[in-house]
Formats: sequence, C-alpha cells, structure tokens
Amino acid sequence: MTFEPEPFAERPALVPPLAAAPPLEVQRAQEERLLNVWKSPAGWRYWSDVNNTSVGLWYLVTTCGFFLFGGILALIIRVQLAVPNNDFVSANTYHQVFTLHGSVMMFLFAVPILEAFSVYILPAMTGARDLPFPRLSAYGFWCFLFGGVFVCISIFFNMAPRGGWFMYPPLTTAYQQDVGADIWLLGLTFIEISSLALAVELIVGVLKCRPPGMRVNLMPLYAWYILVVAVMIVFAFPPLIAGDVLLEMERAFDWPFFDPARGGDPLLWQHLFWIFGHPEVYIVFLPSVALVAMIVPTFARRPLIGYGWIVLAAVGTGFLSFGLWVHHMFTTGLPGITLALFSAASQAVAVPTGVQIFCFLATVMAGRVAWSAAMMFIVGGLATFIIGGLTGVMIALVPFDFQAHDSYFIVGHLHYVLVGGTIFPIVGGIYYYYPLARSKALSERLGKTAFWLMTIGFNITFFPMHITGLWGMPRRVYTYAAGRGFEELNLLSTVGAFVLASGFAIVLWDILRPKRKQPLIKRNPWNAGTLDWAGRVPTMNWGIRSIPEIDGRYPLWEQPNLLRDIDEGRYFLPDAEEGLRETLVTSVIDARPEQCLRVAGPSYMPFIAAAFTAGFFILATFYYWLLATTSGIAAVVMLIAWAWRGTGAIPEKRAKDIGLGVTLPLYRSGPASVGWWAMFITMLGDFTAFMSLVFGYFFYWTSRDGFPPDPLTGPGTFWPLVGGGLLLAAWVATVVARYANRRERAAGMYMALLVAVVLALAGSLALFAGPWTTGLNPTEHVYPATVWVLVGWTILHVLLGVLMLVFCAARRAAGKLTSEYDADIVNVLLYWHFLALTAAITVAVVAGFPLVA
Amino acid sequence: MLNLITYFYSAPFVPGILLADVWHGKHSALEPAGTAASEIATLFWAMAVGAAVIWLSMIVLGVYCFRTHQGMHPPRLPWFIIGGGMAVPSVVLAVLLGFGLSAMPRLVGPAPEGSLRVHVTGEQWWWRVSYEHPQGLDTQRVELANEIHLPVDRAVEFVLDSADVIHSFWIPSLAGKVDTFPGRETRLVVTPTSEGVYQGICAEFCGGAHAWMEFTVVVESPEAFDAWLAEQATPSNTLHDEGATRGRTLFRQQGCGACHSIRGNVARSRVGPDLTHVGSRHSIAAGRLPNDRLSLVRWLRDPKGLKPEALMPSFAMLSDEDLESLAAYLHGLK
Amino acid sequence: MNATFDPHAEHAGHRTHESNQSLWLLVIAPTIWATHFLASYVTAAVYCAKFAPADGSLATVRWAIAGYTIAALIGIAVTAWFGWRRQRYGTPEDVHIDTPLVRHRFLGTATLLLSMLSTVATLYTAMTVIFLGDCS
Repeated sequence: MTFEPEPFAERPALVPPLAAAPPLEVQRAQEERLLNVWKSPAGWRYWSDVNNTSVGLWYLVTTCGFFLFGGILALIIRVQLAVPNNDFVSANTYHQVFTLHGSVMMFLFAVPILEAFSVYILPAMTGARDLPFPRLSAYGFWCFLFGGVFVCISIFFNMAPRGGWFMYPPLTTAYQQDVGADIWLLGLTFIEISSLALAVELIVGVLKCRPPGMRVNLMPLYAWYILVVAVMIVFAFPPLIAGDVLLEMERAFDWPFFDPARGGDPLLWQHLFWIFGHPEVYIVFLPSVALVAMIVPTFARRPLIGYGWIVLAAVGTGFLSFGLWVHHMFTTGLPGITLALFSAASQAVAVPTGVQIFCFLATVMAGRVAWSAAMMFIVGGLATFIIGGLTGVMIALVPFDFQAHDSYFIVGHLHYVLVGGTIFPIVGGIYYYYPLARSKALSERLGKTAFWLMTIGFNITFFPMHITGLWGMPRRVYTYAAGRGFEELNLLSTVGAFVLASGFAIVLWDILRPKRKQPLIKRNPWNAGTLDWAGRVPTMNWGIRSIPEIDGRYPLWEQPNLLRDIDEGRYFLPDAEEGLRETLVTSVIDARPEQCLRVAGPSYMPFIAAAFTAGFFILATFYYWLLATTSGIAAVVMLIAWAWRGTGAIPEKRAKDIGLGVTLPLYRSGPASVGWWAMFITMLGDFTAFMSLVFGYFFYWTSRDGFPPDPLTGPGTFWPLVGGGLLLAAWVATVVARYANRRERAAGMYMALLVAVVLALAGSLALFAGPWTTGLNPTEHVYPATVWVLVGWTILHVLLGVLMLVFCAARRAAGKLTSEYDADIVNVLLYWHFLALTAAITVAVVAGFPLVA
Repeated sequence: MLNLITYFYSAPFVPGILLADVWHGKHSALEPAGTAASEIATLFWAMAVGAAVIWLSMIVLGVYCFRTHQGMHPPRLPWFIIGGGMAVPSVVLAVLLGFGLSAMPRLVGPAPEGSLRVHVTGEQWWWRVSYEHPQGLDTQRVELANEIHLPVDRAVEFVLDSADVIHSFWIPSLAGKVDTFPGRETRLVVTPTSEGVYQGICAEFCGGAHAWMEFTVVVESPEAFDAWLAEQATPSNTLHDEGATRGRTLFRQQGCGACHSIRGNVARSRVGPDLTHVGSRHSIAAGRLPNDRLSLVRWLRDPKGLKPEALMPSFAMLSDEDLESLAAYLHGLK
Repeated sequence: MNATFDPHAEHAGHRTHESNQSLWLLVIAPTIWATHFLASYVTAAVYCAKFAPADGSLATVRWAIAGYTIAALIGIAVTAWFGWRRQRYGTPEDVHIDTPLVRHRFLGTATLLLSMLSTVATLYTAMTVIFLGDCS
C-alpha cells in the first residue's frame, strides 16, 4: 500500500434544491397528503400511534413520572435519616425504599430518559420523518411502562425488592424468600430488554437514517454520543441479563450458582452486575453531555470547537468504561494486581472527560455567551459534576477506596456525578427543547429560580455526606445511633433535600402550568444551528416538510435559504403520493441516499405484544408457570403476526422518484437494509449475554476447586459433538436455502429448509442428551447447573432459529419472500451465523474444556 | 414518626433524653489509630487539597472563558484542549496512580511473621470473634462476640468469613474494610498504633439489622491484652447472688443453650453468640444497647423490636422477675 | 443501485471515496487497549488462582504483561500512523467544510486521537506490574 498523495478531485457538486418553488396549489396538496399520512389517530385510537413524536412524548412523561416517584422515595430516605434512631419508616420499609430509589432512578429514569429524548429529537436532528422501526419503539415503550409500573407498585403492597439495587446474593437468594427479589429480577430484566430494543433502533437511526450529505464528520454531536451510548447498552446490558437468568434460576429452581455450599460463588454475580453497572454510569452520563454539546454552541453562538476531540472522548469513554467494573469490588479480597489493573483503567477514563470539558470551555471562550435558564443548568451541572469527577478519581485509588467504599462518601460522590452530570443537563435540556415539543416557551424566571434552589439544595444535601462517610457512617443503614457525631450533618442533608425538591417542584410547575394564553414561540427561538430546529411552529407531525441535502454541521447557520427550501418542498420526499409513511435510508459514512424506506404506521400490535410479554414476566414472578407460559406463547404468536403483517412487505414498484431527479429502491436486503443491521446488533447483544454465561463457566474454574469435577461426571464428549455437528450441518443447510432462494429454485429451498429444521431439532436433542444421559443434576452442584445453562441457552436459540426457518418457508409459500425480495431469509441466515458460533462454543466449552483442565 | 417529633420538641429542653445509646469509641477514618488508616488519611488529605485546587482553577478558568471573547478562529484553542484536556490530566493522573499503586503492597501484602491471628465471622447481625488459645491448646479456641481486643503496635491478621450473607468488616480508625463471604476466606492486616476504644461496623448491606451490626475494638498494652485473653479463655465465673443463680436455672429451663454457649455451663451451641464472658463486654446485641441489666431485660423482651429481623426469639412471656434474674445472671458473667 | 443517486460517483476509486472508508478504523486503537487490558487481567487472575508459586510471586505475569504492552503499543502506533497519514492527506487549501477529503481527514484525526488515549490507558495498565510483585 502506498501513501503517496494522489491528486484529489474538485469539490463535488451538491444536489441543489429546486430552483423555483412548486406552485402554491401543488405545495398545499403535498402538505395535505403528508399531514394525512402522518397524523396521529384520533380519540382512544391515539394509543395505537407509533410515530416517534407520540411515543417519545409518552416516554418522556413516563420517565419523568418515575423520576418523581424515585424523588419521593429519596425524600422518605432523608426524613428517616434526619434524626438518629428514627422510626418514620420501619427497617423493612426503608430497605424497600432505598432499593427502589436506586433501581427506579437507574433503570426507570436515567437510561430510559436518554432513550426518550433520543426517540423524540434524533429524527428531527437527522432530518428523518421517523425512526426506522417505529413499532419497535412503541413495543419498547409499552414494555417499559408495564414493567416499570409493576416494579413501582410493589412497594404499596409491602412486597418491593429489598436487597439493594445491586441485589447481592446470597442475601437475595436464600435469605429473602419473598417475592421482592423476583420482582426486581423479572421486572427489570423486562425493562432491560426494552432498553436494548431501543438501543438497536437508535443505532440504526444514527447510522442509516441521516439526511443526504450528512457525512459522519457532519453529524450533530448528539448523534455521535447516542451512537456510542446505544452500542454500550448493547454490550453492557446482556451481562446483567445473563446474571439475572442465573439468579432467577437459583431462586426459582434451586440451581446453586451463588450457593457456596454447592460449589457456587456469590462473587460471580458481582462481576456480572458490575460489568453492566459501570458502563451504566457512562450510559447515563454521556447522553447528558450530548445535550451539553448541543446547547453550548447555540448559546455561545458559534460552532463547537474540537468536534474530533469530542468524538474521541465519546468513543474513548465508551471503551474505557468497560474496564472499570472491579472498582466496585475493591474490598472483596481479590488479588492486589487485579485491583491495580482496574484502578489504572479508572484513572484513564478521567482523561476523555477532561477533554470534553475543555472543548466546551474553548467554545465559550471563542463565542459570546447568551445566558438562559438552559445554559445555567448546563454550566451549574458541569461545575457540580467536576466535584464528582474529582472524588471519583480519589476513590479510583485502591487504598482510599478501602476506606470510602460503602460509606456515605460514595453516596456523596455518586450523586455529584449523576445529579451534576446527568440531571442538571437534562433539566437544561428540558428548558431548551420544551419549545420544540410544545411550541410554547418555559419561563426563564422560574427556570433561574429553580436553578438556584436546586444548586444550593443539592450541595447542602450531598456535600456533608462526604464527611459523614469518612467519619464512619456506612451506606444503607436505616438509622444510626445518637452520639456518633452524625446528627447535625444528616439533619443538614435532609434540609438540603427539601430545598432541592422545591427546585424540582418549580420546574414541574413550569412544565405543567397552563400556557393557553401564552403566545407561540417564534420558529427556532434560540437561533440554533442544527436541523432539529427546522420544524415549523406549531409543530407538524410530518417531521420535516422535505428532506434537505446537508453540507455542514450547523446547516441552519451555514446553508442560506435552507428553511425556505425545506418548507416549499424543494428537497427530497416532499410528498406522500402513495399515502404511505416514508423516510430516507442513507449510507453509513457519507449518507448517500440508498433507499426510500416505508415505515410502519399506527398499530395495536406492539401494545398487545408488550402486554403479553409483560404477562409472561409478571406471572413468572409469582411462579404461575402455566399462565406465564401461556402468556409467553401468546406474546411469541403476536410477534410472529407482527413480523408477518408488518415487516418486509414487497412494494408495489421497485423504485420511487424522491424528487430532484433521484430514484431510490423501495426494498433492500442484506447489509444495505435497516432490518439486517437491527438483526446484527441484536445478535451482538445476544451473543454478549451468551459469552457472559461462558465467562461464568471459566470463573468457577478459577475460583472453585472441583470445577470441572474430577473424575468428570458429564456431559461426556460424544453427545455434545454429535449435537454440535448436527447444528453446524443445519447452519450449512440454511446457507443452501438462502442461495437456492436467490437462484429461484423454490423446491431446493424448501428442501434445504426442511433439512435444516430436522437437523436442528436432532442437534438440540443430541445436545440435550449429553448432560441428560450422564445424569447431571443441576440442583446438586454448580458444575451440572452451569453445563445445563449453556446447553439450555443454545437449545432455546435453536428452537427460535427453527421457528424462523419455518417462517421463511411460509413467507415463500405466501409469496411474501421471493428471489429478489429476500430480506427475511438473509436476516434469518445472519441469526444462524451467530447460532452456529454459539453452538460451536457451547460444545467446545462443555465437552472440550474438561479434557484440557 | 413519633421519634422525629419528640426529638425536635424535647431536644432543646432535655438534651440527651434520646441519646442514651452506647458510645463505643472512635470511628473516623480521619482520626487514624493504625498504620493503614494513617497512610490512607494522609493520602486523602493530599488528594482533597489537590482536588480543591483543581476545582477552583477550573472555576476561575471557566469564569475567564465566559468573560473573554477570542473571536471566531482563535489559533491557540487546539493547544488549550490538548494541554488542558489531555496532557495535564494524563500526567497528573499518572503521578496519582503511581502513589496509589505504591501504597498497595503495604496494605494488601501478607501479614508479617509473628502477627496475632484473629478469626472473625460475620453473621446476621453480629460478629463471631475467635482467638487462638493463649496456652496454645489446639482444640480450643477462645470465642466471643462483637468485641475484639488487640495489643498496641503489633500486627494482627484478621481471617474473615461469613456464616450467611456478605458482610464487610470495617474499623475506620484502624484500616480500610474487607468484605466477608460465605465459603471464601478474606484477610485484613492491621497494626494499631495507639491505645483506645474504637468502633467497627458492617459496611455491606446484609439485610434487616444491617444498621446495628457493630463491634468494639479495644487496643491496649500487650500486658493488658494478655491478661484479658487469659481471662476470656477461662470458663465462666461462679455466681455470687441469688438472683443470678435463679437466672442460671432459667437459662437452662428456657433452652437458651439451644443457641448459646457458656463455657463451664452446659450450654454448648454455636448458633448464637458465645456468652461465657458476656458481662465483660462493652455493649450487647452488636452495639445496639449498653451492657447493663436494664438493657438486657429490654433485649430479652423484644429483640426484633430493637434489631429488625433479629434471629433471637422474644422472651416476653417471662415475668419481669424472671427476666431480671436472667439479666442478673448474664450481666454477672464477667 | 448506483443508477439512483451518487453525486460523487465520478470519484469512485479515489482513496477518499466512501467505499474505502470504515468507522471500524476508529475503534482499532481502543480495541487494542481493551485486548491488552483483558489479557493482562485474565493472565494475572488465572495465574494467581491456579498457577502461582507458594510465595505468590508474579514474575512470570510481569514478563507476560510487559510483552503484551510492547505488542499493544506497536499496534497502536501503527494505527496512529494510519490516522496521521489520513489527517495529513491532501493540502489544507482545499479544505472545505463538506468534501470527502474533509471526512477522510476527520476519520484520520479521530483515529489519531483515539490512539493517543489508548496509549495513555495502556501505559497506565502496564504501570501496575511495576508496583505489584505478588498475588496478595
């Protein structure tokens, strides 16, 4: 490869907008059609809507509701701790309250609100009419709502989880036999799945649904951050889901993963939980920085300085955050060298954070800052966050953490990080984006008052906690004795908490107060430069009137007449001739238009599927296995019906003229299609969960003698090898089916599918026979339990894979899958690639490793 | 809720009305009395000052940035980001990491030769403490609960585990904490440097009475320590008064020996805390109550009320007289 | 599907063309860090749990991590050099806000910066074995 510079080309011509606006009556007719296609259903049918502005709004309101609930729980905590020996609530209630406070804030507020924000504004920023899978967002939202409400109301029945948001076994296995821990495990696993679904949606949204010309170096920084965060979710949540599976298996079926008496080890849970738990902190933090990166340039009235540096910081933080998890386990007696390695990574992650702050400082230095409530929240939040960051660097040092760990110092630290780094920017974001959503402004005066109350209240509440912690106050105590010196500071914290709460109350009032008499805002009220502010006032459901060609990071500042050209429909897709919802799909790097994507419209299917999914998880919580299974099957049937009716429809024509002389295909398959990407990302997450289980296997090997047992009890090598061989053969048959379909050999395709199904079923039987014939009893010891869990995971995936093969055969028979329109089978094959890898690893581990060990 | 109201109304008039809790001793990481705690406290103060300086500089820098206006294309801004965001933090953090790592071998390293070894087991919600027998009798260990005595200036290695859930063993004045696990041994090496009474506490959430899982650490001269250990190694003392004798009978009749052990008495069970010398301890119920007869009666009557979910059953069905006799007996076990 | 829309089609084959670009370039350096970190952690953890001599000496692990570090730093340096070449590609006068060249350079810059960060993080990781010599 040579690196001699080549002569480079001239600047390529952009596609200019139409030189003249279409006649007014044409514009009116286009607008009417667009409005008609994109309008939300009226009346009670409104709840079948799937458009990103509706779902995003419900999502935001719901997360804010959960935030208020978590906030009230926090106030209960502070009242209880106001004085020593308090009996405002009982110990049992207190434990439920603090467990729910942490769980609600992390799982029902912090992660979902970033997804809610993104569902709402990402399409606006990227000039898309909607996200690529609107029904998936709706499904995610309904799952989130059902699961979240289920987890929250448990406290009113005195059944809430009470093992802390970290749920350490064996406290949460043998020592808490009531339903609380099940509610946590199943209720929140369910929400994690919905978070994952949205992460898939957002990744594809950022990579594939940008406006033409918006190259990766021109994307709004928000999109970069959300891309990084969504990818982090895909890799961080699955280990927790794997851990949830193990913990629930122990609780429900007595498989002793965490029971040391039977070879289990409670430390495995801590690893899996924190492999999730630390990236989680950055998953929560980065989207708020993303809001900062949008708001600062607007009020500094100039482009952000250090775009590349911000990208470095976002990507770098995403990576480094996966190397920190053991710093939550510094006091577990692990070898010093292990602690040291994680301490090193914990220090390194501070570097990209510093970079971001200096980029923001450079931007305000170069600009002239206009102050507003939004900007105050941003600046105050960062100043607060820096304190949390500095104490974070302190506790990242192993020696200091020995003292600080599990003391109130950590409570102080984490709230400085999360409130300063996340909540303040979110409130700033609400002040900034409220006009976008409702076309009315929030009150600057109320905002500034709230800011000062919150800043003062926050610091009064949480600063003293650093001191109480070092004075010896441990975390999660429901009360403390008098005479220890904790009284004054705790009382101060409680007073501060109410000041802080009054600030939130003002924000809430500002949002809810009637604004009927208030005038509409003018368009783009902050004079921002990014595309999210291109919408009309009042807001139109169509998202954007016509999709422009973008050639800068701040198109509203840089592209003259952009708004006029968008409004007059001089750009792409100004019309909805076929009465279908459409948006553009573009290439990953340079955003060249690739497809005119038909996106789904209103449907009850996501709602019904979510209700049945919720039924499965909620009924399983109470061990109503029969009902739970019925509900689960109903959910699968509903999802299949949804896939059958709602996806991969063959369009009435190959391609469509999207305006300006550009014709785009209406159907793509393989890596050019959004569905392929969704499957790929989903399977990455699924594979991560599987690898977490494999990690468990090797963890037991290092931590426990007699794993694998000597002499070996099972599963032998014969059956696993047979099973693995058959499954690989089934995979080959699937490959054959895909190419037979492409070559229009229907009979060959059906035959290959049949062979694949038979081989797959035989393969799972053989895989099952391994531990079965050797008599491995999963309740006896952790070794058989671990083998069974790997085998069971694989078999479950094979069954799902078989279902997909049958689905493809049926689609072909129904004429919904042809040699040209073959996205279904291409995506199923992608699933099978991962399945083959899973099966191969399972066999290698359960049959091969004991031979080596 | 009642306490909250009472506290606010009564506090100004009767200070201490609700302050009748036990005082166990110092428990601040910032008043170190052990080598490890001293080292960590020094590290903390250095970092705290450094953090304060950095934060203030950032605020000053922030104010400057907001006040100034450098125009649209300030040439030095990339260096501002490279230097302030990347170079300076990288160097500062590397130095800090070096300090942190260099302290680690001293904090996590193996115990020196000749260290005292004390086994501590965390249980819901108390601490089982056991010493090797002073006469070196292998079969016998000296067991007690919620109280640890240590000779000053001698390294001690705590061997820690748990009988049930995860706890965390923390004596802030002496050293950092180490978690205790069922089925896994962890270790903590401590060298106390000044005599005194210190308080230890469970730092890992362990369920119901996590807030009341404390213990007392008495650091004393080697002579006093040896005398104390010899005393603890003896069987329980003889009884002096009638009430106590009655209490002893009641102790047997009520089946207290099903859980507790009193060496020299018939009780041998190791389910609950060893009570051989319970009267000599600083507090009862893992720091929940002072060690006096009245508190013992309160405890016997309502353990769950004093410590949520405590495993000890209530003996409220006994008459006041019976309870007082039991308390007299136990309190007499010096 | 090129028949449809490609304003830059005339530059197909050019080094800055989209088909020669990938976002994967960005993640190479941090992936090297992650691999180095995981390898160091797994080596140390498995060694201490299964293979350490009675005194818990980490001598073997120290050499292993030193080796990993050299390999990782070479890998990051090569990545950084790729980034550097891209960042310097072309001449500055031709830089307009929106050309494939600018995007080419941007990907180079981001790769270079991520290599810098990965170097720092890798060196931090390597620092641990300077200070810790045994498994305790």
